[in-house]
Amino acid sequence: MSLQIINLHATLEDGTPILKGVNLEIPKGQVHAIMGPNGSGKSTLSKVIAGHESYVVTAGSVLQDGEELLEKSVDERSRDGIFLAFQYPSEVPGVSNANFIRAALQARLPKGEEIDAVAYYKSLYEKMDLLEMDRKFTARAVNEGFSGGEKKRNEILQMMMLDPQYGILDETDSGLDIDALKIVAKGVNAMRSPDRGLLLITHYQRLLDYIKPDVVHVMAEGKIVRSGGAELALELEENGYEFLKEPALA
Amino acid sequence: MSYDTLEALDHDTREAIDIDRTRGDFTFPERNKFDAGRGLTSATVDYISNVKNDPDWVRAFRHKALQVFLEKPMPTNWATKDLENIDFDVIRYYLSDGEKPKRSWDEVPADVLETFERLGIPQQERAFLAGVEAQFDSEAAYSNVKEELSKQGVIFVNSAEGLKEHEEIFRPWFGKVIPTGDNKFSALNSAVFSGGSFIYIPKGLKLKQPLQAYFRINSENFGQFERTLIIADEGSEVMYMEGCTAPKFETATLHSAVVELVALKGAKIQYVTVQNWSSNVFNLVTKRGIAMEDAEVRWIDCNIGSRLTMKYPGVIMKGRRARGEVISIALANNGQHQDTGAKMIHAADDTTSNVVSKSISVGEGRSTYRGQVLIPKHLKGCKNNTECDALLINSKSRTDTYPAITVKGNRHATQHEASVSQVSEEMLFYMQQRGIDEGHAMSLAVNGFINDLVREFPMEYSVELKRLIDLEMEGSVG
Amino acid sequence: MILSTIPTWFAARQFSARERYESLPMPKRGDEMWRFSNLKQLAFDEGTASSATIDPLDLLARSAGPEKSAAKLVFHRDELIHSEANLPAGVICMPLAQAIIEHSGLIEAHFMKQETRLGSAKYAALHEASVRNGVFVFVPDGIEVEGTIEVHHWNSGTAGLFPHTLIVTGRHAKVCVVDHFASADEEAGVVIALNDLAAGEGSKLDYIALQELNELSRMIQINQTKVARDASTIGFTLNTGAAWARNESLSRLEGPGGRSDMLSVSLPDHQQEYDQRTFQHHVAPGATSDLLFKNVLYGHSRTIFSGLIFVDEGAHHTDAYQTCRNLLKTDTCEANSMPGLEINADQVKCSHGSTTSQISDDEIFYLRARGIDPANARRLIARGFCIEAIQRLNHPELESFIIDRLERKFSRIAVTS
Repeated sequence: MSLQIINLHATLEDGTPILKGVNLEIPKGQVHAIMGPNGSGKSTLSKVIAGHESYVVTAGSVLQDGEELLEKSVDERSRDGIFLAFQYPSEVPGVSNANFIRAALQARLPKGEEIDAVAYYKSLYEKMDLLEMDRKFTARAVNEGFSGGEKKRNEILQMMMLDPQYGILDETDSGLDIDALKIVAKGVNAMRSPDRGLLLITHYQRLLDYIKPDVVHVMAEGKIVRSGGAELALELEENGYEFLKEPALA
Repeated sequence: MSYDTLEALDHDTREAIDIDRTRGDFTFPERNKFDAGRGLTSATVDYISNVKNDPDWVRAFRHKALQVFLEKPMPTNWATKDLENIDFDVIRYYLSDGEKPKRSWDEVPADVLETFERLGIPQQERAFLAGVEAQFDSEAAYSNVKEELSKQGVIFVNSAEGLKEHEEIFRPWFGKVIPTGDNKFSALNSAVFSGGSFIYIPKGLKLKQPLQAYFRINSENFGQFERTLIIADEGSEVMYMEGCTAPKFETATLHSAVVELVALKGAKIQYVTVQNWSSNVFNLVTKRGIAMEDAEVRWIDCNIGSRLTMKYPGVIMKGRRARGEVISIALANNGQHQDTGAKMIHAADDTTSNVVSKSISVGEGRSTYRGQVLIPKHLKGCKNNTECDALLINSKSRTDTYPAITVKGNRHATQHEASVSQVSEEMLFYMQQRGIDEGHAMSLAVNGFINDLVREFPMEYSVELKRLIDLEMEGSVG
Repeated sequence: MILSTIPTWFAARQFSARERYESLPMPKRGDEMWRFSNLKQLAFDEGTASSATIDPLDLLARSAGPEKSAAKLVFHRDELIHSEANLPAGVICMPLAQAIIEHSGLIEAHFMKQETRLGSAKYAALHEASVRNGVFVFVPDGIEVEGTIEVHHWNSGTAGLFPHTLIVTGRHAKVCVVDHFASADEEAGVVIALNDLAAGEGSKLDYIALQELNELSRMIQINQTKVARDASTIGFTLNTGAAWARNESLSRLEGPGGRSDMLSVSLPDHQQEYDQRTFQHHVAPGATSDLLFKNVLYGHSRTIFSGLIFVDEGAHHTDAYQTCRNLLKTDTCEANSMPGLEINADQVKCSHGSTTSQISDDEIFYLRARGIDPANARRLIARGFCIEAIQRLNHPELESFIIDRLERKFSRIAVTS
């Protein structure tokens, strides 16, 4: 059981190539991290997996437990267990967090079935407590006027509530101070499970001090150029991405 | 992504952005005893005056108004050219069965009763209303106010009865808040008005439950011209709600009302409209209130139906510390133009006005906001706040905003803000990534947009709105 | 025109403009473009030459500009009395009358090519029929002019003056032109000026108009700006003079990535009236326009601001903003604001805002508590209110020059206000 990315090529709508043959496999029960310099295609990879329409897949496939997901719509992928924590979560003015998450959960139920409100709030509050979120948060509009840290916590809260099979966290550490980072990491660690695969996309090693990955990949120029254990992240932190410029590895 | 046709949206979205009008889309055969025929001449005016047995001063008032109407040009120098499609010669200006309004639903003719029952009026009256007037074409079929209120001196009758039976109260204010010559359509109404409510709330009486009027057009090519005057005496409070429907005819129908509100010292009038005309109705309405010292007039306005609505509720703040407010939601769908706004005239010191307007344009719908704020010379301490926000749902919809603010003197503060936004593709992607399909995501976004205003609307409004949405649900399964 | 060698096309344009002027109706009450306007100001008669003796050397001495000027032209009633220039090769900067002969093709391609849609079509026609001189600036591809090109238009007498400014920039060119309108005498002058700005791809074109006519004069100033792809323009107007001034500014965003900043500061006093109409026309998708107008009103003065953001069908991803702020200093002044939006495209970000306010007692108290007398406190606050628009020029020398002009006006305004 894994999320398998095979020879994935994708371009912008105008034809500019971004992903140039990505190969990657995230088995359930593991946490993988992708690191790489700005513009390497990391964020694009996460959006292509989620189904963003600004990108055109020109070759390759993404298999979720052996099943092709590229054919499915954005919301189908989500309901089938793919979750993306956004680098820049959108604001949804006027829609409260509680109603938003509820609508997302409701979308997963068969027609005619209603969410049990008591159980829903119990579960929501439990997770908010873990993420040290104020109860007032439920009544606030989704991401509207949120600080960077609040937005990222909200992403993790949504992931916990939607309980996906595969979670992709795009630059979840950016814009976080150290305290917020620890709380977010606590939430992500609580999500580690033999039934779930997680992919962390990050520019800095910092996040990986708190969420220990099983495998670290380095992405550059739209491809995975190196893979290794957790120690690879430390090495990158020390030496930077300079090695990418060496022709042998490019 | 495109939302070129409304059909592409799912049921819930349509529910969020539109309200079913099919429930009002039925008609009964006409059996009018009185019919002024088509077209408008001084003979038409005399016909109406004769049928209504108008006092002489009312007849003279109508004839003078007809002259003003004929002389005034269409306001197409600033308004839509669609007005030119109104054919005043084919309109029928007066239709009635000659019956007086009934005090009991049992006495209302069966087909008229069925009409209002299908629209839920008697049920609502029992549930939460202090009084109801139900107008069928030109005249009220039913008009009643709770007994204990009439004992306390509340008057709630139709316009003809008000002018005749309570002349001493109504005549001094009639046509004073909105003069005949205010605009072409106020002149038209003044010439041929029939029906509408005359309400008087005695000093110090605060009505806990709202009064309601319901306007129904049953006949094709009919023009409905009701005239409402509400006088809230010193320290009294009243909320008035109006609703309306018409069947969808092949040809255009005209609704042109005049509504005058008078809030005397310390009084408060709230006027709630849920405008849900079928999409061939020209809805050209003049509404204005006057607020004396410490009084308050609030217009709470929701425009969903009609082909063209032109309506700019106003408040003249005539006494110190008077307050005026307009809160409005407009939804313009394919083939609709909601041209709405507000007019705030500050005429005394320390007066405050507030305008909050939200419009949604869907498909090829067009919404327009026009506003006027006037703070004349030699006043102090006046404040105005205006916010208007527009949401565009797809690339063919259109929105315009034209406010005008005049401030004379340095002892005031005004603030105007307007914005236009879309449901952005990134927002939809975000919501869809949480498993919510495109239609539901759009629906959430639209609801979110009007959410803070809906909260501003009174409970009774949400009951009405909920009822309309329930009708939609019922219609969709049946 | 003064010279007999003018090209036929120009003579023909002037002839047909005269006919157009005569056939177009006078603005009347009820015209939306003239709502709140004082139409009495539109009665222009023949006028006469000044009864005062005008000394060109004196005018030259009074023709002050920002510190560094790349070129300086001084006119008195269309007559060039001084010219100096230190411009890069290829840049054309000369009186319009001369340019019409020497660069006829270039002028013909750009001269008054835009329609006037803010109400003054009749007066634009009068300008076109009557123009005798002005300035033509052409900056070829890739050339950047450092410093400002400074133009002084002195008026005198009561006969109409019709100065024209035509500025054309090539690809990635850069230029900043300051037009200065002032009176040489104390007679009731009439100035109907028009400026045509055409910013080429990726160029930067800044235009500043300083209106400091005497308080008997009337002025109509029509600004028409075309912004090509990735070009950036600034149009700034300072109004301190004239009895009545009408400004019509139209920016047409014709290419993606274009940007137009429309700025104004007005300081009317006594019976002065400023009537400003603006139009932000988004023709192409992906362009930005941002308008900021500031008015500080004294005495019995009056302002009208009417602005429209107009987004054409298909001009998606437009960003357009419009803000008008009025600071009312007396109980007898009057500010009218009509900020408008007409949106026919989607994925746009548009907003407008308008405020009118006074200086609060708290603000005055705060400054007084720091030892500043009330009159100076009011002046400081008013100055601070205006500076936001001036700083958008992003040109320190020019900013301090304009602030200096502002201070001159402040010092003329009675300290009691």
